[in-house]
Amino acid sequence: MPSDLIIIGIYLALMFAAGIFFSRNIKSTADYFLAARSAPWFWIMGAVWATNIGFLHGYLAHGGAAYEWGLVQANFEWFQGPFGYILTGLFFIAFYWRAGIFTVPGFLEKRYGSAIRVIYSIGWLIFFIITIAAELYLGGMFLKNIIGLPFWPTVLVLTGVVGTYTLLGGLGAAIMMEFVQFVIMMVGTMPLVFILLNMVGGFEGLTDILLNQWNISPQYFSVLPDNHHPYGPGPWIILGQCFVVTIGWCAGHQSMVQRNLGARSLYDSKLGYIVAGLPKTLGAFLYIVPMLAAPIIFAQRGIFVEKADAAYGKLILNLLPTGMLGLFIAGLTSAGLSSISGVLNSSSTIVIKDIYERFMVKGKPDHHYFVAGRWATFGIIVASLLLVSIVAKSPLIMWLEQTLLAILLGPFMAILILAIFWRRTNTPGSLIGYLTGSAFAIYYQQVLGQRVFFKISWWSFVVALVVTVVASLLTKRPKPEKVEGLTWESDFHAKVGAITEQRAENNGTKVTQLPDIKITMPPWHLNLKYWATGILIVQLVLLFFFG
Amino acid sequence: MEENKGADPKLIVAVQMTSIGVILIILGVAVFLLSPLDPAVNPRMTSYIRMCSIISNATITLLGVAFAVGGLIRHHEIAKKKQ
Repeated sequence: MPSDLIIIGIYLALMFAAGIFFSRNIKSTADYFLAARSAPWFWIMGAVWATNIGFLHGYLAHGGAAYEWGLVQANFEWFQGPFGYILTGLFFIAFYWRAGIFTVPGFLEKRYGSAIRVIYSIGWLIFFIITIAAELYLGGMFLKNIIGLPFWPTVLVLTGVVGTYTLLGGLGAAIMMEFVQFVIMMVGTMPLVFILLNMVGGFEGLTDILLNQWNISPQYFSVLPDNHHPYGPGPWIILGQCFVVTIGWCAGHQSMVQRNLGARSLYDSKLGYIVAGLPKTLGAFLYIVPMLAAPIIFAQRGIFVEKADAAYGKLILNLLPTGMLGLFIAGLTSAGLSSISGVLNSSSTIVIKDIYERFMVKGKPDHHYFVAGRWATFGIIVASLLLVSIVAKSPLIMWLEQTLLAILLGPFMAILILAIFWRRTNTPGSLIGYLTGSAFAIYYQQVLGQRVFFKISWWSFVVALVVTVVASLLTKRPKPEKVEGLTWESDFHAKVGAITEQRAENNGTKVTQLPDIKITMPPWHLNLKYWATGILIVQLVLLFFFG
Repeated sequence: MEENKGADPKLIVAVQMTSIGVILIILGVAVFLLSPLDPAVNPRMTSYIRMCSIISNATITLLGVAFAVGGLIRHHEIAKKKQ
């Protein structure tokens, strides 16, 4: 155990030192909030994947759910996650880039006006602060339970490390660390699945023991179970979770989008997002598949697990040798830190770009907002730290987080789709639709007592979509110059207009190449379409075998 | 709004690559040195787990070397251009 502690200590010290070293290069708000728009596609891939894996969404919670419910938990990794990345990369990211924004609320303001920007930014800000507090709490509890570290000093050390490199280095430091964390999680924690499958006689042995000897339902090995499944009914996973929550998460979560806006080009941004589908798919082998074998190992060794969330920790604690255990704990700590740094950096961007610079202190030099960004990061760390003890005691906080997410994703998805794909959507329509969808989500959850999260998201999405369409049709059409360049239709019209003009210049001769676009084909291994098609084929194969 | 002169994006990537490389190398070597491979000293280190551990550590270290070298080459190119 002392060797494992030394490994974790070395890892945290290295991250702390690298954060300070990197921060010397950060000089402006574009450097701080968008990493000087420098990130190549593989940085984006690692960062997008790592920022999405934390204690909440990853090893402990998802691993625990897989331990309890089986392969249905892999629907995030083998179905909706990669699907969401591909759709966002192909259809949404280009509009964010074209709008020249720092934040998703900034895009909403360009399309719909400032009211929706304020509502959306405040909602995400509260959600982010609660998320950081919850991640710190889970991190502290995990290290306390697994290696007996004292809770509060551990939380303070984790806050100090992640806070320092994110506060000083901004998005560039966060992306850099997320890539390190991506490697440690992907390479360092991958051996567990091989070790466990080796112990139970391979995947064939695993299914034989669980299905034939233990008589567990075949639904345990289904990614999309039937409609009566209590945890993940297949049709609702497809409708509510995949088409609303996941795409809304990929296209509307500031942490995810901000990493893409920090890319060195739009192409790198799109490619990074699409290729992230590959590690997402492999993620199931890190914390879902091992947990299917965990009940057998626990039964063989007489280990009692009181809570599903604790299963992953107990498994590695009882199985792995010294040294390897330290690397695993470093990997799990990485998951928490990458998630915190992503959210922390995004929160400060929202505070400065969507609230402070937009409504409070306008027209100051860039350096002023750069310094303010660091203060905002510091303030959010302190606020989250203060919230840690409340998160531990009050179920109200977690209720607020879930409600906020339902409000943020369903109605947001409705107005985002309409913003891009229907030119006629206007400011009053979107505002009425968004507020009605949010009110419905709260009513459905709190008054009607609906607990299945993706049903809330789906119906709040439908309500917001219908109300926005009706309200937009009943009010004035938006001015063409207001939506120019922000919608799919205007993009299409611009291209057609350019072709028509070119045809006129060429006396009606057919033009095959757009005049204002230089088309340079990427090499085959960096082709977006090949990657998207390849990843979709992998998903289809997995769904064919485990659907 | 007056703009600060920002950082060189190529330099940012070079620094990131070098730092990632150094972190991975140190971590890989530290894990290797601190995990006794002999089952007599480290009882859970069965032959299969030992193989997995060696492959995993070696991959982390080699990736570290690749990133560190890549970062240093980029630094060198930037310095050459400045001259």
